[in-house]
Amino acid sequence: MTIDATMVGRSYAAAESYQVGREKIREFADAIGDRNPAYRGDDAIAPPTFAFMVGSRALEELLNDEELGLRLDRIVHGAQKFSYTRPIKAGDTISATATITTVRKAGPVEVIMYETTLTTADGEPIATATSTLSHNRADA
Amino acid sequence: MMEVGTELPPLTVTLRREDLVRYAGASGDFNPIHWSDRMAAALGLPGVIAHGMLTMASAVRVVTDWLDDPADLVEYGVRFTKPVVVPDDDKGANVTFSAKVDKVADGLAEIDITAVAGEEKVLGRARAVVRVR
Repeated sequence: MTIDATMVGRSYAAAESYQVGREKIREFADAIGDRNPAYRGDDAIAPPTFAFMVGSRALEELLNDEELGLRLDRIVHGAQKFSYTRPIKAGDTISATATITTVRKAGPVEVIMYETTLTTADGEPIATATSTLSHNRADA
Repeated sequence: MMEVGTELPPLTVTLRREDLVRYAGASGDFNPIHWSDRMAAALGLPGVIAHGMLTMASAVRVVTDWLDDPADLVEYGVRFTKPVVVPDDDKGANVTFSAKVDKVADGLAEIDITAVAGEEKVLGRARAVVRVR
């Protein structure tokens, strides 16, 4: 099982939506050492990179696709980008879908780009995350 | 204020092993290369390394601390060029972030961010786009 360019366009929806709670936002902000008051309280918005954690539920589904044959311990995160329509807020229920956009091979290394869209349950856009992973099939 | 060439106040963050464990717990990323010397060595790493997403989260604070409202961030991207090695001691690893406004146009400002640990740049092409009020 391996990944190749024919797999561009495959899409993986997170099995469950993500319910954003203010205490999770606070915990995350504390973990990144960010004291910004915008990330506290009932009207809290989430720090920008919180979006990656929400999107990672869709990534899990991508990694579970046995036809791709990806192993987490062979993956290096090469690049990450976010575009925000609006910040994630406490009280949001978010659906995440990851779509493979590019597959490039260089020997045993596969460079995979995928785009994760975060939307509300009604389909309103919140943010898009673009990730680049390097997957090395050579034996360590 | 939001002018090309404006330098934002820099920020130095100290990452200790405890901070990596806390980030692992908060983010759900329990990859052992971020807390186990044994597993990091087995994968040929120079030591336990910080989560790239933790470095990325720290770097953007230079921008969001400077904005009146962090909701004005519209785009943010980085490349992870070098790992930040975090020793199991009281000192940890220092990463210094600085940033400069590179472009202002159409109600948006583009800000370049630099992240240095030791002598090495640990992020490449780190760039934030913010709404200008």
